[in-house]
Amino acid sequence: MRLARKFWYLSGLCTLMVILSGGIALATHATAQDASAPKSALEVVKAHSYVSLDPVPRGKDFQIAVVVNIESGYHMNSHKPSDSYLIATTLTPQLPAGFTLVDTMYPAGRNEKFPFSPDKPLNVYSGSVTLKMKLTAQDAAPIGSTTIPITLRYQACNNSACLPPVKVPVSAQLQVAAAGASAHAVHPEIFSAGASQEK
Amino acid sequence: MNKVVRLLLPVALCLMATVGFSGCKGGASSGGGTQPSALADEPNVTFKDLQGNSVPLSGFKGKVLLVNFWGTWCEPCRGEIPILIRLQQNYSGKGFTLLGVATNDDVSAVGPFVHNTQFNVDGKQETMNYPIVMGSDDISTKFGGLLGMPTSYLINRDGKIVKRYIGSLNEAQIVKDVESQL
Repeated sequence: MRLARKFWYLSGLCTLMVILSGGIALATHATAQDASAPKSALEVVKAHSYVSLDPVPRGKDFQIAVVVNIESGYHMNSHKPSDSYLIATTLTPQLPAGFTLVDTMYPAGRNEKFPFSPDKPLNVYSGSVTLKMKLTAQDAAPIGSTTIPITLRYQACNNSACLPPVKVPVSAQLQVAAAGASAHAVHPEIFSAGASQEK
Repeated sequence: MNKVVRLLLPVALCLMATVGFSGCKGGASSGGGTQPSALADEPNVTFKDLQGNSVPLSGFKGKVLLVNFWGTWCEPCRGEIPILIRLQQNYSGKGFTLLGVATNDDVSAVGPFVHNTQFNVDGKQETMNYPIVMGSDDISTKFGGLLGMPTSYLINRDGKIVKRYIGSLNEAQIVKDVESQL
């Protein structure tokens, strides 16, 4: 009887240990695989938009910044890539009535060499970069809350493989006020003259 | 004796379980390629060549085939083209062929690229010397979805996928793998 109890105790303990150790081994194995596999283009690049004024009075110029954070180990082509066949990073706003685009400002990329292009440096963005658009809220801009849809297009790679080019929607939310209304400059860390466009 | 058994048995079982699980194969890797635990059948897909003619994958049965997903916009894909040209030069007479599948690309960009772009292969300027077809999202999905470009699949004479390579090919490894199938 005592022997049988010991047998079941040992069997139960062993089963538990097998399940636990197997689970840990499986989790470790899966993590190791994930680390080596390229991720999706949407996973490696995160974009957030900011507006320079709150509210934006009719008749005023303002800026929209799209801050793009690129995962470590990845890069994307700059707006002016090294070769014409490479897909440039672009911002394209779908402007609602009452807004005009004055200019789009892209930071300069960095020339970097990669294992797949050891002799020819590529002009790329990595880390965090800020793309900006200067716009005007015209007299006809609708008063109140407005969304400006923007499309960010990019093509990212790591040191051995590239992810397909993608177009990602990024929208900017702003409040439009009457002409002459007082407006506050917001996000000085992004829009002040000294703010860096690349980190 | 009882104490020894109590201590050693769980440890032994842990070791067995760990070894068993860590021996798992499959999934994604880069460079040297990944061998599936069981050989998968090649997908039933039909490509279009640069002239718009249908090219069924099954038409290559009987040959060892390396299907290379690439794009004119993809720098690492361009970087490995000299390796692919050399493979085709050395093994096309021995029952092997390459098939380049241009992906996320337009035929108007691919055609001129294939015909005009010169690659330095062992000191000689060469153009792509293997068949090129156009890919699509549907075709990529039927191959299991592309995690990155370039991605290549080595298919044996029976139409079974032997190995998948994500990222730039390692020339010594791919030569060894192709030769093992011939």
